[in-house]
Amino acid sequence: MSTSRFDIDRENQWCPGCGNFGILTAMKQAFEARNLTPADLLLIGGIGQAGKTPQYLACNMLHGLHGRALAMATGAKIANHDLNVVVSTGDGDCYGEGGNHFLAAIRRNVELTVLVHNNQVYGLTKGQASPTTALGTVTKLQHQGTSADAFNPVAMSLAAGASFVARGFSGQVDQLAGLIQNAMSHPGFAIIDICQPCVSFNKINTFAWYKERVYDLEDAGHDPSDFSAAWAIAMTPASEQIATGVIFAKEGNAYHRRLTVLQHQPLVSYAFDGDKVHSLISRS
Amino acid sequence: MGHDITILIGGAAGQGIQTIGSLLAGICHEAGLFIYSYDDFQSRIRGGHSYHLLRIDNQPLTGPSLSPDILVAMDRNSFDLYHHRLTKRGRVLLNSDAGDTPADLPENIMLSLPLADLAKSAGGAITANTVAAGVVAAMLGTGLSRARQAVEAQFRSRGKKVVEMNLAALEKGYEAGQNHAVDHTLTFTGFAQERVVMSGARAAALGALAADCRFFPFYPMSPGTPIVTHLADMAQEVPIVVEQAEDEIAAVNMAIGASFAGVRALTATSGGGFSLMVEGLGLAGISETPIVIINAQRPGPATGMATRTAQADLLFTIHASQDEFPRFVFAPGSALDTFHAVKKAVMLSQRFQVPAIVLMDQFLVDSAMTGVISFDPAEEPDPAMETKWDQKETQSSQNDTYQRYRLTADGISPRIHPCTPAGLVRVSGNEHGPSGFPDENPENRCAMVDKRFKKLTGMKEQMTMPDVFAPESEFFLTGWGSTRGGIMEACQTLRQEGVDVGWVLFQDLWPLDEHKLTDLLSGKQLILVEGNATGQLGVLIHSLTGIRHYSLVAKYDGRPVFANYIVDKVRQIQGVKK
Repeated sequence: MSTSRFDIDRENQWCPGCGNFGILTAMKQAFEARNLTPADLLLIGGIGQAGKTPQYLACNMLHGLHGRALAMATGAKIANHDLNVVVSTGDGDCYGEGGNHFLAAIRRNVELTVLVHNNQVYGLTKGQASPTTALGTVTKLQHQGTSADAFNPVAMSLAAGASFVARGFSGQVDQLAGLIQNAMSHPGFAIIDICQPCVSFNKINTFAWYKERVYDLEDAGHDPSDFSAAWAIAMTPASEQIATGVIFAKEGNAYHRRLTVLQHQPLVSYAFDGDKVHSLISRS
Repeated sequence: MGHDITILIGGAAGQGIQTIGSLLAGICHEAGLFIYSYDDFQSRIRGGHSYHLLRIDNQPLTGPSLSPDILVAMDRNSFDLYHHRLTKRGRVLLNSDAGDTPADLPENIMLSLPLADLAKSAGGAITANTVAAGVVAAMLGTGLSRARQAVEAQFRSRGKKVVEMNLAALEKGYEAGQNHAVDHTLTFTGFAQERVVMSGARAAALGALAADCRFFPFYPMSPGTPIVTHLADMAQEVPIVVEQAEDEIAAVNMAIGASFAGVRALTATSGGGFSLMVEGLGLAGISETPIVIINAQRPGPATGMATRTAQADLLFTIHASQDEFPRFVFAPGSALDTFHAVKKAVMLSQRFQVPAIVLMDQFLVDSAMTGVISFDPAEEPDPAMETKWDQKETQSSQNDTYQRYRLTADGISPRIHPCTPAGLVRVSGNEHGPSGFPDENPENRCAMVDKRFKKLTGMKEQMTMPDVFAPESEFFLTGWGSTRGGIMEACQTLRQEGVDVGWVLFQDLWPLDEHKLTDLLSGKQLILVEGNATGQLGVLIHSLTGIRHYSLVAKYDGRPVFANYIVDKVRQIQGVKK
């Protein structure tokens, strides 16, 4: 394995063969390609195996609560929109516990790169269904099969108005690294739903299962500005075909361009003005 | 006593009763008088019943009174509800638009006027409330020119036509009220000088700005909403962001994210929203990220009574979240105190890198009073903060040696902003080692819990002990937060009756120095006066000092604790001898 300035000497707790390793490698490649240093980077993690990612590379790290990564990332970005913020989250973290924050972050179009490690199962809590688990899947908890339809993150992102929607596969590291670079240069909310096998708890959606189904949208000549085509891709059942690449991208005004106060400079860099406060007090 | 005048303006939501109050308050304030006002309303936009209380005096006031000298009944319902509370010199203005004028009060006491008809003749039925304000201004003898100035100030932003219409309405009312003067000793000849009229909500907003808070993520919830509404109004003038979050969970986590990135953040809510924020409160605790949450209390649990008042979240806020960590809890006693309490909460939260909670309530949020707020514009937000930032950490981030949770003598680890060459910042809600990486080693766990609790010593030193009045007394009215004014006034009344009673009033509530508190309260008979059913301050005092309270005046009907209520209850308490 090649070395990277983002490497860190720390024991990794992921299972051997975990899809997360491919995602981690792709992240480092993308950050290198963007000429970033660890000091330039703020990684925000949710809770779950994906949420641990910021611990496994050299960066600034904010690691908080299950489901709340996007809310924290929104706050950090409002405070200082010059920060390069990447969120590492999982299907349970982002689409389950954090579902409301997910929808709101899309609508705000906060300039974030969101990497959703989607292995269709809860790993850290040992094998329960996740929001993206297919209906009827038998798990360690759902003995008669899951009773809820699977959440479609790509369709939901498109419907909510996301300005950059992509899908990657942890087994295609180079493509994923390119997608992360694209997402980080997108001026707005960018989500990459990343298919990955869970070697311990998901015996259905294995590496081989994905490998049989994935195809590259660029090879297929997909135009990411075509919403109808993007929608058709989103609605194609994963059991048949899994498109990877940029599914949809559009111009949009990022959150910090929508607010006059942030158009001038980041919130953190304003000087305190006691005279203005005094004037507001005396006008009470 | 007896110099002050209380005006009660009752009506349905949508009748503009607050406008009447604010016009009259404006006249009195500009004339150098002191006011105290309070709004009581239902959780509805139109109809129902609301009232506005305005009390006026030559000297500073600490609370409202419920006995009107002037009752403005914008509907018959308001007359029926309050006319029995009129003082001996009382006068009534009844809106007779609806036609059903009661005949049981003599004409010299009750003035029955078709306010909407008068308003229509002045140019628009919509100004009925300005007609009413004109009548009351005449009853008070404010002078027409002072009343005109207040109307101009109130409506200036709405354009010349609106001002003219309201001036005409004012004059109609003033003329009608001239022969119904109320006997009083107020003089309308002074000036406001440096004094301001401040509501609890506005004071909270300004206190946050004075402490350099810039980010206000927020989910609407009564009675916390007016605090952030004030900030939204101020956002044109100061560089702040008010963001309506998708829920209170998002609000508190956004605050944490912003604080991590170097911007001071505050959110306001009520008990239900605070309940949702508790998870985030714990994250702020373990990650040592400063945030401030204002909990404007209302009766609960669950939805409870949305626009009513309560003081029942004291023990909840002190103990909220799983496990243990240091935090601040403040409960300002008045609108003016709120400015300083919120400012202090922000400062100390930053200095000690702990969450701070400010307990307000609907009564405090919606009360306004006259006073002076001292704020030096040249003052830095907090000079003491300099030592809390790691200025010396200049090593390259390649070395990666900065430790966000470095173990220190006072438990406070110097911060640096993330994403600077000074070092990599790692913050975690998992138990972590000094570097910020998760660490479950038992020795480290104990070291980190101990580190966080080391801050308590310094935190306690920053807390102001409760104020005491008449320390030689045997009995002490004992309260916290917004009951302050009512307790002070009740104490004065009781002492005039010969009751041996003083007061002890808390504003800084947590963490308290148990030894100082024991010294302060030993040997005293504490009569708790609280807006809850169980006497939560009594529980707290007992847990810290072993001192049990003597008696409890508990009020949990959702309404404020007025002075006369306390006086009546204390008189009933056996053992307090005249």
